[in-house]
Amino acid sequence: MTKSEVNNHYDVIVIGGGITGAGTARDCAMRGLKVLLVERFDYSTGATGRNHGLMHSGARYAVTDHESAKECIRENMTLRKIARHCVEETDGLFITLPEDDLGFQATFVQKCTEAGIRAEVIDPKQAIALEPSVNPDLIGAVRVPDASIDPFRLTMANVLDAQLHGAEALVYHEVIDILIEQGRVIGVKLRNNHNGEERTVYAQVTINAAGIWGSLIAQMAGVKINMFPAKGSLLIFGHRVNHMVINRCRKPANADILVPDDAVCVIGTTSVRVPIETCDDLRVTPEEVEELLAEGMKLAPSLGSTRILRGYAGVRPLVASDDDPSGRSISRGIVTLDHETRDGLAGFLTITGGKMMTYRLMAEEVTDLACKKLGVTKACETADKPLPGSEPQTPPNRKYSFSQRASYGRHGTLDWAVNRGDNTNDALVCECEGVSVGEVKYAIEKLHVYNLINLRRRTRVGMGTCQGELCACRAAGVMCDREQGAQKSIDDLAGFMNERWKGMQPVAWGDTLAEAQLTATIYQGLLGIDTMTKERRKEYYEI
Amino acid sequence: MANETQVQSLSANNFEQCLKCSICTVYCPVSAVTPSYPGPKQAGPDGERYRLKNKEFFNEALKLCLNCKRCEVACPSNVHIGDIIQAARIKYSTHSPSLRDRMLANTDFVGTMASPFAPIANPVLKLKPVKAILHGVMAIDKHRTFPDYSRVKFESWFKKHAQASQDQYAKHVSYFHGCYANYNYPKLGQDLVKVLNAVGYGVHLLEKEKCCGVALIANGMPNQARRQGEVNMRSMRKAIAQGHPIVTTSSTCTFTMRDEYEHLLGIDNHDVRDSISLATRFLYQLIERGEIQLAFRDDYHKRVAYHSACHMERMGWVPFSTRLLRMIPGVDFVMLDSQCCGISGTYGFKKENYERSQAIGSTLFQNIAEENPDCVATDCETCKWQIEMSTGVPVENPISIIADALDVEETKKLNC
Amino acid sequence: MKFDAIIMGGGLTGLTAGIALAQAGRDVAVVSNGQSTLHFNGGTLDLLGCDEAGNAVRNPLNAIDALSDNHPYKKVGDVKALAEKAQRLLDGAGIATEGNAEKNHWRLTPIGGMKPAWLSLKGMATIDDPDHLPWKSVAVVNIVNYLDFLSPFVAEALRERGVQVDVKEFTTPELDEARKSPSEMRATNIAKVVERQDLTQTVADAINYCLDKEYDMVLLPAVLGISSGERGDQLLQLIDTPAAFVATLPPSVPGVRMQTLLRKRFQQLGGTFIVGDQVTGGRFEGDKLKCVTTAKLEGSVLEAENFVLATGSFMSRGLVADYNHIYEPALGVDVDDNGLNRANWAALEVTDPQPYMETGVRTDEHLRCSKDGTTIANLYAAGSILSGHNGIKRVDASGVDMITALQVANNILNS
Repeated sequence: MTKSEVNNHYDVIVIGGGITGAGTARDCAMRGLKVLLVERFDYSTGATGRNHGLMHSGARYAVTDHESAKECIRENMTLRKIARHCVEETDGLFITLPEDDLGFQATFVQKCTEAGIRAEVIDPKQAIALEPSVNPDLIGAVRVPDASIDPFRLTMANVLDAQLHGAEALVYHEVIDILIEQGRVIGVKLRNNHNGEERTVYAQVTINAAGIWGSLIAQMAGVKINMFPAKGSLLIFGHRVNHMVINRCRKPANADILVPDDAVCVIGTTSVRVPIETCDDLRVTPEEVEELLAEGMKLAPSLGSTRILRGYAGVRPLVASDDDPSGRSISRGIVTLDHETRDGLAGFLTITGGKMMTYRLMAEEVTDLACKKLGVTKACETADKPLPGSEPQTPPNRKYSFSQRASYGRHGTLDWAVNRGDNTNDALVCECEGVSVGEVKYAIEKLHVYNLINLRRRTRVGMGTCQGELCACRAAGVMCDREQGAQKSIDDLAGFMNERWKGMQPVAWGDTLAEAQLTATIYQGLLGIDTMTKERRKEYYEI
Repeated sequence: MANETQVQSLSANNFEQCLKCSICTVYCPVSAVTPSYPGPKQAGPDGERYRLKNKEFFNEALKLCLNCKRCEVACPSNVHIGDIIQAARIKYSTHSPSLRDRMLANTDFVGTMASPFAPIANPVLKLKPVKAILHGVMAIDKHRTFPDYSRVKFESWFKKHAQASQDQYAKHVSYFHGCYANYNYPKLGQDLVKVLNAVGYGVHLLEKEKCCGVALIANGMPNQARRQGEVNMRSMRKAIAQGHPIVTTSSTCTFTMRDEYEHLLGIDNHDVRDSISLATRFLYQLIERGEIQLAFRDDYHKRVAYHSACHMERMGWVPFSTRLLRMIPGVDFVMLDSQCCGISGTYGFKKENYERSQAIGSTLFQNIAEENPDCVATDCETCKWQIEMSTGVPVENPISIIADALDVEETKKLNC
Repeated sequence: MKFDAIIMGGGLTGLTAGIALAQAGRDVAVVSNGQSTLHFNGGTLDLLGCDEAGNAVRNPLNAIDALSDNHPYKKVGDVKALAEKAQRLLDGAGIATEGNAEKNHWRLTPIGGMKPAWLSLKGMATIDDPDHLPWKSVAVVNIVNYLDFLSPFVAEALRERGVQVDVKEFTTPELDEARKSPSEMRATNIAKVVERQDLTQTVADAINYCLDKEYDMVLLPAVLGISSGERGDQLLQLIDTPAAFVATLPPSVPGVRMQTLLRKRFQQLGGTFIVGDQVTGGRFEGDKLKCVTTAKLEGSVLEAENFVLATGSFMSRGLVADYNHIYEPALGVDVDDNGLNRANWAALEVTDPQPYMETGVRTDEHLRCSKDGTTIANLYAAGSILSGHNGIKRVDASGVDMITALQVANNILNS
């Protein structure tokens, strides 16, 4: 083989830059495999970046799905160790309201205990003392080890660790064809979504970890996976109303979880089956907003008077059970498909189902399978070794500035790599979230940032109260200085503001509408960006 | 409840209404001269959002806030920015006040100690070696002269010369004189008694009066402030029960007792708040309702420049004082640009703040020099110290100007 | 308190009406809920910049006829005369402008865009024809590390139009000191540092030092002259080559200057400016508004012969959209909500014309408000609170503010 051919050959290609793909790439790399991770847009653009950010204790599944509950609590404990900088140990409450059956509580606690989940019944008064925002009408409360987790950070940390172990990662590279030779997948054809260039890469094993889009990848390979895209919508509120996760103590239903994430809180989700063609451009409907609000106010009444920053929707990859010929029965838990045994197509594995919580376990399962096929015997270490950023370190001290503390929260121990201490780097780009010029530069250099949306996922630029009112423009200026030309930055900025609006539009009333008008006055009125945009972005799921 | 969903977004301290427009930063007197102060937007709504997540996001630099509330006045979205900042200090600061701060904050205690010794204390406080010690040891700036302590407190004067005659009037008020009128400038209290008596009102002291506590709040002693506030509220309730409205001559004391008690100290003042009024507002509203009339001397002529003290501006009561002053035929009225003078109570007395304090006030001083008035009128006593020290132009409370310009006999006739 | 006229709203509209009425000898009070949207104004005023088809307008006066019938300009008499009056009014307040209503010029935006304008403050960078730039070589000069002026964007936009552009930076020790604040390195704070320490010459020297050759034009961020235009004029004169200012991200120094000078002018004319208070309600008797209450003047009301509602749009809180409807919060006057509800008052794409922006207070042909269907004879509305126009899409926001304010002042004076 020539050198370029060597460079095009991998042990494993992982398709999909969500948490499952990133975790799988990490695991494969840690086992010593030569890995390529490919993602059509940015990391965590799919379901990974569009959920609650809830680190389940498993209690939610305890009554209905014992296996999932057990997996969750195990992974919950593991993530606390290996992903400390992505996790906030908030604990959670399962509350019973007057309209709920208090009898369910005993079953719930029993099932939790059976699954190994610490579930402690507490007095409603104590629950109010612990979590003052909770509905004061509650008649029962159970405390469980739920927590909050940042999916963007978690995914990025997995990618970084995969790279530290020799993996390569390509974002904005879309799989446009699966190459099959003699009943075996030998590689994939990629298109660079930035410049349209195509290239082919080869691997002994190709792992499909593309979430709901995994069914389309499978289709390319000529195999069929029955998936049901289930759209779930959520609302982000302007600040933290609650400090503990609040759930309803009843059978899982719509809009019954309120999670404190970073400086905001998130209520969700709705659930509705949608056609796969619509999955790249989902919008939250007025009916969904109404349901989320109505149910959310039952958990924490103050949500009724708290500003809503935006709404967003993700797609759960529900998979039909292989053993049900009708295709209606949904597989619970993790689905690992060896297409060699299932469909007679060697070199091709699919990992799907599951949940963000169990990504590491999913990665372990599929990596085990890949290793078996490749004759590699090294055991999985992902549960023991901390992710980059989560290594033990002394916590920040009181002298930390607002932005330094915020940055430490985002990058953990990797924060050392952010330049600060001089006027240039300390200047704030995003005032709501405390993102400094130094942090933006760090993200551009080290965290695969090509546009403002990438930057937002790495640093929270534009995720605060104003949704990019001044910071996006400042960030575009820094990006332009570092990387790209001015016109590209302006197109990027316009796309970014449209993406921010996409989430604000369904909740555009009150302060959010006033904010939107101010933002329009600045960007269109003062700056005139609407007359300067040349290229409109086509990647809908991205914007 | 369903009908009320999202009708308003009002978090407990309403920082959600902030549109991040940054207008507040234009009007912050501190951030322009103090790069280490994060500015009202960062210290207020931006910071609060993160402090709600984790109190570790509190930054001691918030102590640089003057609590002038000019950010709140400027805010088009009615965010209580200053309240958010001060409340955060009270809630999260772990810094305990120094001896110097305690001394400056306890205005009534120091006043009580100094007044009997005024003939000694005043010259002593002005002696260079003493000022050097204050500067070096106590960190009270050497450029500052303590306001003179009066030998006779207002309360003593009142009891001796005025109290007995107050019952003869048909209508009555209780006067919260504050520390300044009591210890430093009893003439202000005397002027008030003169004006109110002339319009047919008897003036009474409260059963017990404590310093309003504004300096205690500013210097990180909220608990003592709360105790003193409760005492004041109790005394005022008694006065109100007797049918006495409460009248004051200090905009800062008034603002503190009406608004800061509730917002920062959590004192329930709802039954007292509306009865506390600044004397200029009290008079203006009586005139407006046709209940009293004022007559002025023909021979009074002064060019008066009005300075809107920060808390006066925040209360929104500037028009009462200015329209009252404009009723005096002999007053050539000039409105100064509304801006902070830089003293902010005890802030400007601290060595570390002196230069900033003067820098903040510099444009106001320039404005005064350009207008060249006979005197500056303002409703705040600490502004008086600062402006007199920095410009040499005499500064009077509007009540003193009215008392000076008043034709007492004619006024008495009009109101009998 | 009794006045001849009470104006609710202390921005461009309220102060324009206030000055016009005070000049005519009326005793006027302006009640302003905080500071205004002038703080986001980049130093230019627009009369009509874009027609309904989306094309740039060269002659605003000629393009007014083609506007839809509910546009506020259709309720004013002689736009040309009012536009001239507006310019004189600004001049009287110490705001020198260039431009006229018969011919738009173009202004350079903080990211290098070019937008049609009616009047620009003296010293701002303007262009007669965006297709033919008057410069061959330009230096875009920024302050080191100042993030609110996008010099590379401005440079690129000019290069695309065939101009030779260099991007330069300067600083001074005093500005370095100001930069120590991570969040407060804003245009207005830079202006205050320069004014307070009298640094105009120092800044000019630093700029001249960084210019190593001759340019046709030097473009600078508008960070000078917060209280008057003098500092800016001085600086431009001290620079060795022709120079002009380009607006920055807000808060904008030329915008704040306009606000300050208009307010001062109003006060000099004897007007009472009440800031930080808001009208909370009114007492209506028959078809008249007798008085209004405010949040802070408890126990007192503001009485007047005439009232003007100039409280602005949603971002100024002159209009409110809640979960269910759009309303006017101060007096509860009738609103043209165009039958919209929260499902359709906001369009899907951010640059689409947003239907909510065309909602506003309903007025009759004399710009008088109505309440519960009854026209209120002495209550007028002006500025961006009016229904029937989208200031962003039509590029007519400040024109509507000033022209309707002057028309309302005329209506009051003639009534």
